[in-house]
Amino acid sequence: MFENYEVGSVFDEMFVEPDSPRKHYAPVAQRLMDMDADAFERRRRMADVLFRNQGITFTVYADKRGVEKIFPFDLVPRIVPHDEWDLLERGLIQRITALNLFCQDIYHEQRILKERIIDPELIYGAKMFRREMMGVNVPRNIYMHICGTDLIRGSDGIYYVLEDNGRTPSGVSYVLENRAVMKRVLPSLFNQYRVRAIEDYPFNLLNTMQHVAPPHVKDPTCVILTPGIYNSAYFEHTFLARQMGVDLVEGQDLVVENGYVYMRTTAGLRRVDVIYRRLDDDFLDPLAFRQDSILGVAGLMNAYRVGNVALVNAVGTGVADDKAIYPFVPDMIKFYLGQDAILPNVPTYICARPDDLKYVLENLDKLVVKSTNESGGYGMLMGHQSTKQEREIFAQKIKDEPRDFVAQPVVQLSQHPSFCDGGNVISNDGTRKFEGRRVDLRPYILYGEKVIVMPGGLTRVALRRGSLVVNSSQGGGSKDTWVLEDDAT
Amino acid sequence: MTMMFDPASGVQHNVEARPMLSRDADSMYWMARYVERAEHVARLLRVHMVLLTDVGDLTPVLEHQMWLTILSTMRVGEEPEGNEPLSTRIAHFMTFDLNNNSSIASCIAKARENAKAIRESISSEMWECLNMLYWGIQGDDARPRYEESPDDYFYRIMTGSMLFQGLTNQTMAHDQRWCFTQAAKYLERIDVTARVIATRFEVLTGMATQLDQPIRNIHLMGVLRSCCSLESYRRLHLADLDATRIAQFLILQADYPRSIRFCLEQARQAIEQMRISNGQRSPSLPERILGRLGSQLEYADMSEILAEGLTPFLKRIEDGANEASVQLQRSYFLY
Repeated sequence: MFENYEVGSVFDEMFVEPDSPRKHYAPVAQRLMDMDADAFERRRRMADVLFRNQGITFTVYADKRGVEKIFPFDLVPRIVPHDEWDLLERGLIQRITALNLFCQDIYHEQRILKERIIDPELIYGAKMFRREMMGVNVPRNIYMHICGTDLIRGSDGIYYVLEDNGRTPSGVSYVLENRAVMKRVLPSLFNQYRVRAIEDYPFNLLNTMQHVAPPHVKDPTCVILTPGIYNSAYFEHTFLARQMGVDLVEGQDLVVENGYVYMRTTAGLRRVDVIYRRLDDDFLDPLAFRQDSILGVAGLMNAYRVGNVALVNAVGTGVADDKAIYPFVPDMIKFYLGQDAILPNVPTYICARPDDLKYVLENLDKLVVKSTNESGGYGMLMGHQSTKQEREIFAQKIKDEPRDFVAQPVVQLSQHPSFCDGGNVISNDGTRKFEGRRVDLRPYILYGEKVIVMPGGLTRVALRRGSLVVNSSQGGGSKDTWVLEDDAT
Repeated sequence: MTMMFDPASGVQHNVEARPMLSRDADSMYWMARYVERAEHVARLLRVHMVLLTDVGDLTPVLEHQMWLTILSTMRVGEEPEGNEPLSTRIAHFMTFDLNNNSSIASCIAKARENAKAIRESISSEMWECLNMLYWGIQGDDARPRYEESPDDYFYRIMTGSMLFQGLTNQTMAHDQRWCFTQAAKYLERIDVTARVIATRFEVLTGMATQLDQPIRNIHLMGVLRSCCSLESYRRLHLADLDATRIAQFLILQADYPRSIRFCLEQARQAIEQMRISNGQRSPSLPERILGRLGSQLEYADMSEILAEGLTPFLKRIEDGANEASVQLQRSYFLY
């Protein structure tokens, strides 16, 4: 099924050139070559049924009952050798440490602004900057407890940081479920590898939450706050609650009295100490933020500010993962830690700067333009694939609100063999075989008593041929990600 | 290497279960209740189809009447419209129609919706079981499987419900959460069983003169089968099918899990346990309602029940069980 496999000009994760797999991929490549398309297709179907029966689905609203679909899962694992991972891990720890110091600084002394490393206007213009957090001391000075950082690999094979998701990154449940399904469907693939386990993530997450519980609470009550069953990440919320053994609450289950947060139980009110909220800041508390929010809890911000309840992540971390602040992360690392960034950023033009703006407008056809206020692949212009008319519309938007846009050169994501089944994923000639598809990687970092990077992460795949957009909302899939132990072949 | 077991870890002896969210209790209750309801609908339809084959040609009026008992048992007011024969119409309506709140498809979908809201509180085994039931009725292959063998289709739903209930018993702690599933299951069973007995005996009494012995027996077996009770009845009374005895078995038998008396006691115990785990001493209102009904059945005599009239007597039980359900919701779900 690797006949006529094309490596092309981009970095291929598995092959140096056709028929010549990289050393750490050789056993998997061999195993896949020994399988025929039917055998592989059967495994894929098994995986689909497992996902469906476990209810790992998302809903597409086409009619009254909605159509539930499973996230496309690509069975070929992505493998990261030990030495590569070691570098990534150090880089990610360095990054989350700097981002936390940055949040602490921004909401207190603002040294980084006073020393003109970052233009204050960029901060105050950030939609996610929270004035309400100025001078507020958060437990143990941790703002970003959970971060999902998107990494991509250029044609040079170097890992770049594309963005940090420091508010409520999702996807970690798929990482764990992908692994579980993989072990059931293709157990033999694991035989020749020592893959690092990721199954202790929920335990680490719970520790991360307990670490910030108000002092003197001996056995803190931790909960996950969800917007409810219609949220697209609802499966993940229930998954994490179940894995940690904590309650999953909705805003209506919580009430604030005398500055403390309680949940309504069959035995009356019960105090809550730590909330892992999967709601954006805007919806947390109708008294402090959006008044029309029915998802949040009135009075929560007050309880939070006086330290009676901890929120994970803290309110206001959005200022650190703003796309216009992102270019400064290497400067933050230098400023707070006195180190050079281990993982490079993708060069970024900030449209709020006149010089950059001019360059961006002149080179729209070569750049990827991103809205600083959107995520999930929305509000983007892929310059090289756009029409003249699309570029003109975008140019006008940029001129109207330059602060809302940044631009980056097109980074060729690395590719990875994916199974083209002729249905969801179609190959160049329509036959069933393996073909290269672009991938990224989102590792998850927990900042608790110590910083723990989960050895693995979510590898997202753009299932359309040549597409660079991996987001699930745009038809992307995912694959299991293996980080190898030290002495593995 | 650290020791596996640390004697000084200070692990507490009896960790008390955390109280559950009121919203979770609500969902737990309805999840269990809808699964039980789906099972009853499947069984009624399955038994009915076999029964009609066995009794052979009925007068159109009688056949019509028989099919309508299914609707009245499930409190469905309107007869479905269409050009197909009544039997097909009702079977489809009660199996697939999502606009019909009592159809199997609706019940399973609502059970699953509730389960989804408490996904973290129930076991993965329960969730997967319910999901498979759901896809069994929503999936693309549901209709063809039904058309090929309605009997097998209904059987799978019944056993699916039983598997779910078994998993509920065996994969989650018998704490307050579990109590809500038990109360729900038994209250639903009381409700359906009372109405099966009432509606079927009404029809049978009305046409008693037209039925000869063998046909009468087939009908009586149908009543027992609809309540999943034929074999247990026979074990007790041998093959002697007597209407009074059957009613007595289905209402008063102390040790059979489908009899109303048994279900009342189980529901009461579940609600009692909920109350005790909340540290309250005196019986709650739903408990008292069920306890009073239960003791009536405990000391009842069939001749007195028949003197009162079977239908009004069963109506009283039905109302009592429903009142208990309302009071249960008032005590625990509303906040």
